Amino acid sequence: MRANASEPLWRIVGLGLTGFAVLVLIYLVAPTLAIVPLSLSPDPFLRFPPPGVSLRWYEAFAHSIDYQLAILNSLKIGIPAAALATACGVMAALAVVRGAVPFRRTLAALLIAPLILPQIVLAIGLFPLMAKVGLVGTYPGIVLAHAVVTMPLVFITVSAALRTYTPSFELAAMTLGANPWRTFVHVTFPMIRAGIVVGFIFALTFSFDELILAMFLTSPTTRTVPRLLWEQLNYQMTPIIAAATVVLLGATIALLCLAAFAATRSRHLSGGAKGVQP
Amino acid sequence: MADARAGTGARTQRTPARAWSPARRGIWLLVPPLLLLGLFFVLPLAYVLIQSGSAPKGPFDTYVRIARETSLHYPLIYTFRTAAIVTVFALVLSYPVAFLISRARGRWQLVAMTLVLVPFWTSAVIRSYAWLVLLQRRGIINEALLTLGLVDRPLRLSNTDIGTHVAMVQIMLPFMILPLLSSMRAIDPSVLRAAAILGANPARQFAHVYFPLTLPGVGAGCALVFISTLGFYITPALLGGSSTMVAVAIEQQVSRLLDWPLASALATVLLVLTCLMFLLYERLNSRLASRGGA
Repeated sequence: MRANASEPLWRIVGLGLTGFAVLVLIYLVAPTLAIVPLSLSPDPFLRFPPPGVSLRWYEAFAHSIDYQLAILNSLKIGIPAAALATACGVMAALAVVRGAVPFRRTLAALLIAPLILPQIVLAIGLFPLMAKVGLVGTYPGIVLAHAVVTMPLVFITVSAALRTYTPSFELAAMTLGANPWRTFVHVTFPMIRAGIVVGFIFALTFSFDELILAMFLTSPTTRTVPRLLWEQLNYQMTPIIAAATVVLLGATIALLCLAAFAATRSRHLSGGAKGVQP
Repeated sequence: MADARAGTGARTQRTPARAWSPARRGIWLLVPPLLLLGLFFVLPLAYVLIQSGSAPKGPFDTYVRIARETSLHYPLIYTFRTAAIVTVFALVLSYPVAFLISRARGRWQLVAMTLVLVPFWTSAVIRSYAWLVLLQRRGIINEALLTLGLVDRPLRLSNTDIGTHVAMVQIMLPFMILPLLSSMRAIDPSVLRAAAILGANPARQFAHVYFPLTLPGVGAGCALVFISTLGFYITPALLGGSSTMVAVAIEQQVSRLLDWPLASALATVLLVLTCLMFLLYERLNSRLASRGGA
């Protein structure tokens, strides 16, 4: 649509579209930033314009035992869940993309299904089953639940990484006498490392944000940050939530930058290999 | 017997080609993921189905109740309608944004991508809370309007359909923008140049060349947004509306009324609807792909 664009009519249409898109981007980002002035307000209730600036809610957040416990729980649940999801997701991706397994399409659909299905449906089924074996309210219970819903993220990123290069690298290694394990360690793993790291970070972020399974499967002693936020939102609205949210927002952005960094680094590393693709 | 096993072991190490026989290569790799999936995904879903038939009045009682009682089946209709509305608005708002990002260069593209990706990875709890801060009775919008003297009394913005829909569309936008963007980036610019040389004005280039080429992205984005909205819990539970979404209704049946069979029946209906929408999308997608090939 670049040619003809010099005509004034089409230039106006283009400018209008750009303006519209900028407005949509503002609508996408600005509402979330509304939390920032609230977190800095000295009053427990929001007033407009804000009467001053204070860090008391950040101080309250830093001293809150509830939040400290919840952050610790989120880490204790998120890291093992993401690790388990990564191990299983990598194996599944290797089997489906590189292996010769039957029902490949059905398998791939099944492996992505936990991400598509509404979590409330899974929660309704998992809660009574886990209650029967005493897993409700324990760390293993929620870790396993989060592992199952985050495995698709790893499966997708690692499958994509495996499809960026030809399997002849692995064939070459195996022709030269390497067994499957050595082939994986010395050839496959270095090629898909970035995909694995990005998948792990995605799984971790997802677990940190997940509310519904945590609502059903954690207890007051194992509750995660989203569940604590949710309980506070529904029962006792204070600006501590705003301060906590701003801190969490910062953590999300930091993790994202890490994922982006991992992805760009890999592009430099595998840049040479991509050219070999037939 | 023991000798034979030792023999195979030694041979496995020396001749890897036989150990990784092409016929069922990599099948053992599926054992751990399928175990996880089977125990903590397939089994619970089967249990939901069984539980939905465990009502004292007979296995189909819960489904009969859902069909008969308006208060039970209305959330399903409302959820479907909401998913359709959210999908249409998300598509209309996202298309120009994705187009702009696909055309942007260098720093602008990076800025725009960040503006899309940060909300994408921000918790829906946080983003819904932000809408509550904006929309509630003593929220930012009402306080601003009162201070400026534009209204005498606070407007009712939260607990309305419009407020909740505006928030849901905003939360779903990245799920529409990203698939659109990936299909737009795949378009070869020389195709458009060819259309222009053949005399098509920008509107015709868009209608006959550009838009059809983005259809896979449009389909993927719509499917993603529609299916995610079907199971939307956080935003409608926090902001409310004239009616309840089915995910909220399920949670209420369990936590307030302790009616597990009924909640399971509602969950089963939601599960079936989600699967149907996904199959419909797969069907359309493969038809689109085959037409593109021909």
